[in-house]
Amino acid sequence: MSNKYIALPKGISEKTFDSAIADFRSVLGDAAVFTSAQQLAPYIKTMMPVPDSDHAPSAALMATTVEEIQKIVGICNRYKVPIWTISTGKNLGYGSAAPAERGQVVLDLKRMNRILEVDKDLAYALVEPGVTYKQLYDYIAEHKLGLWLSMPAPSAIAGPVGNTLDRGVGYTPYGEHFLFACGMEVVLANGEVLRTGMGSMPNSNTWQVFKWGYGPYLDGIFTQSNYGIVTKFGFWLMPAPPAFKPFVIQYENEEDIVEIVEIIRPLRISGVIPNAVVIAHALYEAPVKARRSDYVTGPGSIPDAAVRKLAKDHHLGIWNVYAALYGTQEQIDLNWKIVTQAFGKSGKAKILTEREVGDDPAFKYRAALMRGDMTLQEFSLYNWRGGGGSMWFAPVSQARGSETLKQMALTKQILAKYGLDYSGEFIVGMRDMHHIVDVLYDKTDPGQVKAAYQCFDELLTIFSAQGYGTYRVNTAFMDKVAETYGPVQRQVHKTLKKALDPNGILAPGKSGIR
Amino acid sequence: MRKTNPVRTVTALMLSMSVAAAMMADIACAAAETNADKGFRWRDGVEVYSKVCGYCHGGQVGPRILGRELPPEYIRAIVRNGSRAMPPFRPSEIDDESLAKLAEYIQRN
Repeated sequence: MSNKYIALPKGISEKTFDSAIADFRSVLGDAAVFTSAQQLAPYIKTMMPVPDSDHAPSAALMATTVEEIQKIVGICNRYKVPIWTISTGKNLGYGSAAPAERGQVVLDLKRMNRILEVDKDLAYALVEPGVTYKQLYDYIAEHKLGLWLSMPAPSAIAGPVGNTLDRGVGYTPYGEHFLFACGMEVVLANGEVLRTGMGSMPNSNTWQVFKWGYGPYLDGIFTQSNYGIVTKFGFWLMPAPPAFKPFVIQYENEEDIVEIVEIIRPLRISGVIPNAVVIAHALYEAPVKARRSDYVTGPGSIPDAAVRKLAKDHHLGIWNVYAALYGTQEQIDLNWKIVTQAFGKSGKAKILTEREVGDDPAFKYRAALMRGDMTLQEFSLYNWRGGGGSMWFAPVSQARGSETLKQMALTKQILAKYGLDYSGEFIVGMRDMHHIVDVLYDKTDPGQVKAAYQCFDELLTIFSAQGYGTYRVNTAFMDKVAETYGPVQRQVHKTLKKALDPNGILAPGKSGIR
Repeated sequence: MRKTNPVRTVTALMLSMSVAAAMMADIACAAAETNADKGFRWRDGVEVYSKVCGYCHGGQVGPRILGRELPPEYIRAIVRNGSRAMPPFRPSEIDDESLAKLAEYIQRN
């Protein structure tokens, strides 16, 4: 164990690392290279149920230009030192700013934060990795560009590059973020700079408007991967609609999700409801309004009767469907008629709008997310168990009622076995749903840490055995999820890795790829 | 320290960088970036608080931090190390000088 460093990259001697650090310092300057425990403290804390020391970096580098990054990868190749690249570093519940493996050097691109271009007419942006949604939001407001963002719930502190590269989602009609990505600049492991799509052609002005370019489409291989370092990223923005009508539809029983999904799917596929609708369980919304300790004490998951009482006390449904209509008032009026007729048939749905629940804190933050406004209200989830433990369990489901009920019941049953609550929601694509469950536990309680780890492991095992794949996972479970997709895909990933990064310097372990 | 805070245990001093001088830069070639803007700075503590911390600490998510005369050293330690669910914030997100201004603002207001 080194005394000079808090960790070392796997297989690298202290002497070799000394040389690498000296070279990094010559490129970036002393102030942009961190190696002390105090300097590295903000890179270490995660919300995962494993010791933070398992993911402690050996150093962190703050680069601000493409040329610096090219030189950094040169040094990494020379000494075989691996780097783990982060942008805003707020992948909370998926590994935060810490590397996948102990001893990796964090390449921190937060200071590479220029908004390079926002085109009002063509409604796109080109940004660097360190740009946050809040930064872009303020820029758009200041310049009166009339464009809306789509972002995940940690909006103000997260950013479009990191979120989209990890294939995150938001809540507006542009909620499936990677669908709206258009053009990347990537520093490859050999130091070359690739611009994808139309960006490869000199003098092209269509980089941010036409995704495909010519030949194989490459952008996908730079998402959830470790094949390059994305230094510029283009994506489309939504023109602010003339009118916007958010609403919530509440149902009283867990089984009602079958009806909800069967009604939503055709409305979503046909575009009557254009946004990424959320079907949130009462326990996902409860922390905004209530404390767990008011309803249950002692170990074990919260009983159904307590959930029903909580929902009643705080005017929540057991399921809460948040959706919105966008367009002219005439379009909205017409679509509203279609929505209310569809949900009104069975008599089970309670349909509420801003007029009835505009001041409700859950409705308010959901409405903000659906119009791309900044809010961090969803972090209330972390108060539910307290203690800062959180992992997102994120299996994909068909948008079919029976399937969603099956996934919900299975998840709830496994969580209960470990004394954990079902804080879940479904984010509706067109034909798919991201089933998103916050596995919340108290990281200061060793018993809950152990239970959370075993629970998450079992969730992945059972779900994959049923054919349910996970779309994204924290850094402690990436290998396990990679296994679930079978040996052929894993081998193809490995083959690409070998071709593009023969020394394995870029984020070894990301998505199980080495 | 466990479970001593009776109400909201999440703390979240949320900090992100603003564009002090967002450049509509020449994007034509990477070589032009050697003079990329590195000189951004938060204007003052109020800006940091309102654009980051306030989203949690001005509402119901994290505990109130204004009006408690919290010592700057404590604020600095929590920002850099995080606490429970509150994530830490790196010097790339808030430089030491801006963090000092933020801590002073929080203590005095």
